[in-house]
Amino acid sequence: MKTNELISKLKQSDVRAVARLLTLIENEDKNVETVLKNIWHLTGKSYIIGITGPPGAGKSTIVDLLAKMALENNFKTGILAVDPTSPFSGGAVLGDRLRMNSAQKAGIFIRSVASRGHLGGLASTTRFMINGLEMLGNDITLVETVGAGQGDVEIVKVADTTIVVEVPGLGDEVQAQKAGILEIGDILVVNKGDRPGSDRLAKELKMMLSLGEHKKWTPPIITTTATKDLGIDELWNQIMNHREHLENEEINQTRLGKIKYDLENQLSQHLYTRKLIQIGENEIENMAERIFNRDIDPFTAIEEIIKQ
Amino acid sequence: MDKAKIRVLIAKPGLDGHDRGAKVIARALRDSGMEVIYTGLRQSPEDIVEAAIQEDVHFIGLSILSGAHTHIFPKVIELLKEHKAEDIKIIAGGIIPDQEIPKWKKIGIDAIFGPGTSTIDIIDYINRSVK
Ligand code: B12
Ligand SMILES: Nc1nc2c(ncn2[C@@H]2O[C@H](COP(=O)(O)OP(=O)(O)OP(=O)(O)O)[C@@H](O)[C@H]2O)c(=O)[nH]1
Ligand SMILES: [Mg+2]
Repeated sequence: MKTNELISKLKQSDVRAVARLLTLIENEDKNVETVLKNIWHLTGKSYIIGITGPPGAGKSTIVDLLAKMALENNFKTGILAVDPTSPFSGGAVLGDRLRMNSAQKAGIFIRSVASRGHLGGLASTTRFMINGLEMLGNDITLVETVGAGQGDVEIVKVADTTIVVEVPGLGDEVQAQKAGILEIGDILVVNKGDRPGSDRLAKELKMMLSLGEHKKWTPPIITTTATKDLGIDELWNQIMNHREHLENEEINQTRLGKIKYDLENQLSQHLYTRKLIQIGENEIENMAERIFNRDIDPFTAIEEIIKQ
Repeated sequence: MDKAKIRVLIAKPGLDGHDRGAKVIARALRDSGMEVIYTGLRQSPEDIVEAAIQEDVHFIGLSILSGAHTHIFPKVIELLKEHKAEDIKIIAGGIIPDQEIPKWKKIGIDAIFGPGTSTIDIIDYINRSVK
């Protein structure tokens, strides 16, 4: 598809065109900037719900049910599901779709995304892929992260509402106290409510929250059993509550903050790439060697590079 | 900066529960650096084609050991045409009688790999035909 044709098809919400755009974005294709420049004014219109939590917690199963729920409430929905890329081969088996049967049957657009070596729970291009997906005209975008550990909190930089899914039996107390990931949750879900220990985990989470600082929004804790579709309507209601809260308070503020964060990242990437082209890759290597040999210190090295 | 990857959808259509082959292939392709979307059991031809379009894959890989390929192959080919997505190639494996293979290739199955095929040959084939 030629770039012009792609842009005009995107404006008609053509499914193949959107799928192709997502590929160009994740490949960091050279034509992608041209395309995004032409459609940027049409993006940014969906409400973004992020779902994160440890591997196997039930994220995909929950996304599937939420997508169905969104559809029943007349919201057009799209899904991005991120799975890890193997650090050994660079390949990936993307299995989230396996658990998203009802969303698939309902015709919801699902895209499986490989993290391609990016850390933090998402791929480096996820933000723009959401924008690409928005060309379908969706009201809601559901984003599932890689099965996340403590540090994988990038989803908050992307989502309007972040849902953290926990499950009993992962050595919960200790887990909960380190809990970088819990702090990012606008809503906490205890899934696998049919498993022993789920009540206790919910209580522990509640305790932890009461110890933390008080914010305008207190994250609700919801117990679900996704495999039996239990608790999902409650979860949906809380998402809508949180959305309402944001709309009353600060949604533009937070969205602006996120765009600023992206802009800073992009800018530093860009400036770096430009400099690299200007001075050549070898210069970085030379400089590294000089630092290694203690011929120069890193601070002077940077000053010199900038001056070049 | 071109970071293109080969993407392959591996699907098990119909009621066929033999999923060992599909899983072996999924893993082998991953280990050769490809991105594999594994959709699991009981997929209808419609599910498969829609998923392949959304995922923008180079290949649909069908694994069929039940004999149901006789109606699934033509249906998947037809649906791809309907969606103007004939650029997505179909490869297949499982129990497909040798004498039928020329017939299936003629109507649009790109390649068929029977029991005992080395995964290296399959990976080679895919790599060569994407170039
Ligand atoms: C193991 C097995 C089972 C296991 C399956 C376990 C599982 N989860 O997979 C069990 C015991 C459950 C089983 C059950 C049945 N089986 Co059975 N089973 C087999 C057996 C012995 C081996 C299959 C296997 O796993 N091979 C190992 C894998 C790695 O090989 P493969 O799948 O062929 O894959 C290779 C290639 O074909 C290719 N490939 C495969 N898929 C793909 C996809 C792509 C994209 C590509 C590129 C390549 C590719 O690459 C792989 C590597 O070389 C075969 C006989 C045989 N020798 O094939 C019978 C066989 C497939 N079974 C058969 C039958 C009849 C059944 C049952 C109906 C029996 C019954 N009456 O209950 C049930 C049906 C189950 C169901 N729900 O579908 C028949 C099918 C006959 C037919 N098609 O006409 C066979 C051929 C036995 C026979 N000779 O009669 N079976
Ligand atoms: N018992 C029980 N099992 C569940 C529940 N929810 C999900 N599961 C099962 O847990 C397993 C993992 O579910 P997924 O939805 O794939 O979990 P995930 O968090 O998306 O997994 P990754 O994407 O691999 O990190 C599946 O076998 C589900 O059927 C639940 O409420 N109770
Ligand atoms: Mg998942």
